[in-house]
Amino acid sequence: MFWSIIASNKRKTVILIVLMGLFLILCGALIGMGTAGAYDLHAGATGAVAAAGIWIVMLLASLFASDSILLGVSRAHEVGKDVYPQLYNVVEEMVIAGSLPAMPRIFLVDDPAPNAFAMGKSPKKSCICVTAGLLAMCSRDELQGVVAHEIGHILNRDVLYMTVAATMLGSIIFVSDAYLRTFRYTSTARVTSRSKRGGKAAGALVLVSLVLAVLGPVFARILYFSISRRREYLADATSARLTRYPEGLASALEKIGGSPDTLGDAPSVLLPFYIANPNRQSLNDGIFATHPPLEERIGILCAMGQGAGYMDYMKAYIKVTRRHRALVPAADLRDGGRVAIRPPSEDRGISPSSVGESARRAGDIIRAMNGFTFITCRCGLRMKLPPGYPGGQIVCPRCKRVHAVPRGDSGMITSVLGESAAMSAPAEGRVSAPQENGRPGNQEVRIAGGKWQQFSCDACGRSIEVSPRFGGRKLKCSSCGSVIRIVPAGDANEKTAANPS
Amino acid sequence: MSAGTVVFIAVAAVFALLVLYTIAAYNSLVALRNQIKNAWSQIDVQLKRRHDLIPNLVEATKGYAAHERQTFDSVTQARARAAGAKSVPDISKAESELSGALSRFMAVMESYPELKANRNFLALQEELASTENKIAFARQAYNDQVLFLNNKIQMFPSNFIAGWFDFRTAQYFDLEDKTERTAPKVSFA
Repeated sequence: MFWSIIASNKRKTVILIVLMGLFLILCGALIGMGTAGAYDLHAGATGAVAAAGIWIVMLLASLFASDSILLGVSRAHEVGKDVYPQLYNVVEEMVIAGSLPAMPRIFLVDDPAPNAFAMGKSPKKSCICVTAGLLAMCSRDELQGVVAHEIGHILNRDVLYMTVAATMLGSIIFVSDAYLRTFRYTSTARVTSRSKRGGKAAGALVLVSLVLAVLGPVFARILYFSISRRREYLADATSARLTRYPEGLASALEKIGGSPDTLGDAPSVLLPFYIANPNRQSLNDGIFATHPPLEERIGILCAMGQGAGYMDYMKAYIKVTRRHRALVPAADLRDGGRVAIRPPSEDRGISPSSVGESARRAGDIIRAMNGFTFITCRCGLRMKLPPGYPGGQIVCPRCKRVHAVPRGDSGMITSVLGESAAMSAPAEGRVSAPQENGRPGNQEVRIAGGKWQQFSCDACGRSIEVSPRFGGRKLKCSSCGSVIRIVPAGDANEKTAANPS
Repeated sequence: MSAGTVVFIAVAAVFALLVLYTIAAYNSLVALRNQIKNAWSQIDVQLKRRHDLIPNLVEATKGYAAHERQTFDSVTQARARAAGAKSVPDISKAESELSGALSRFMAVMESYPELKANRNFLALQEELASTENKIAFARQAYNDQVLFLNNKIQMFPSNFIAGWFDFRTAQYFDLEDKTERTAPKVSFA
């Protein structure tokens, strides 16, 4: 489905990139000749080769090191399913919807400003970054829209193209800057002597190369940003098509636009990959914008009406912007009739009701990311323990109940927002038995032996105490009736038997 | 160069191009067919996952709503039927019944506030919601691929290659309710 878009995108991007490349070589050649002060083909060729060389070095450097450097810059931590199951699930859903060949790595950025971006040169090796602020602020549908937009960037291979374009822009800026510097640091006498040597033609040449050195970066920027904006529209269209729910992305964009926080240290190379431009103070509209104006993107998504296909996005685009531009190739517009919008999900999870709650959730997500342990007391109080908490016990400050603190290395799942990944890994030494023949799974609890043990029922949370001699027997929870098997510690070949006291 | 050689070279060139096109078209058809298989197995995986989640869910909720016997039974029965279904239309039917039973089940459970405070239940709820979504998205991806393959098989000129190598159009997978399907659809295409 997607490869014909990729093919057409490839064509257009290749044309633009070739244009930029030619421009880079022209800049190099003219500046080379300008430096030599004469219409000298040899100097021109040297300049062109030097410019191309600078670009190749920059490209290789950014291709080989981009992921690690950029992720390091943005204070991103890789997370699995345990920190925030919903994020993982939503990414998995979008991977399925887009038939991505591999699951991207997921990173959480420790920042209250809502934003997200994607990295990775090919769909096989990609990563998605989401800020804690975005997670705290978005409902499930909104998060899905944002993730689908990032998956859209990956599917359309925007990262590769934008990297090539960005390094070209970088080398054009570098070359012209270096050239202008030679003027700043040499006396005007030398310049005039240079032009005298070559006569009038050489003087004109110096002038032309100067003009090019000043205007070149501007022109290259315009090209670069126009590629970037086009890609944003396409990623929005892909998001709507994957989720079949354009309103999710629209309302997420609205929340992102309305947030007072801005991302602190967004490197400029990364800007085109963010869902929305992180620093809003910069030139945000017109030809120097990395992203189309938010209101316009929201307007298009809201105007999509009944369908979520590329055709519908195109129609909405023309209706809102009154521009006729082929964003999506004709081959992909044929699916228009089949793509219906789905109803919103019930979003049984949480949608923060106030700014304060959303900030509290962002804080919790950041804590979970940094290895904090969350213990919920039976009285309803939630305690947040830092990763270095000296094991043993903690007393609930409200009701004075004693809780066991799991050791940091025990594989304890730090769960946020009360959504623990209960099914994916054994927590607190307890495992759900595999289900066979449709019989409900029974719980198993390992006990250390030697003393009375306290644990809470997996199904209802009731706390139960058993004697050490109870090992190997079954027990029925008195409040919910689920069967719990007590396994003595020496019995099982499980080494990491945590001991909830 | 005589006229004969020119004609020969031209014919050979055209022939070579045709062979190249045939190879490319054949390969893309095979790739698409494999993608469809892959998408289908993805649906299978997610359906199975849902079957595995249901006992957990029933177990976690039984203690709170023991008297809702009917709701529990309808879900477990729908699950058993879905697990036993073999042919594609049977699977479609049984799975959409299971979807209906599950959403009724969740609606009933919504009215138990203490259940909503249960960590385990909330986690199961997220897993179930996500699995439902994954089924829908896997189906969507499968249907997208089927549309693409069928277009290729029926459109000129790839229809010749599809005909020679006996590529068959694939079937769409529909899980929607009958009421949804009979709703009038207006197309301006």
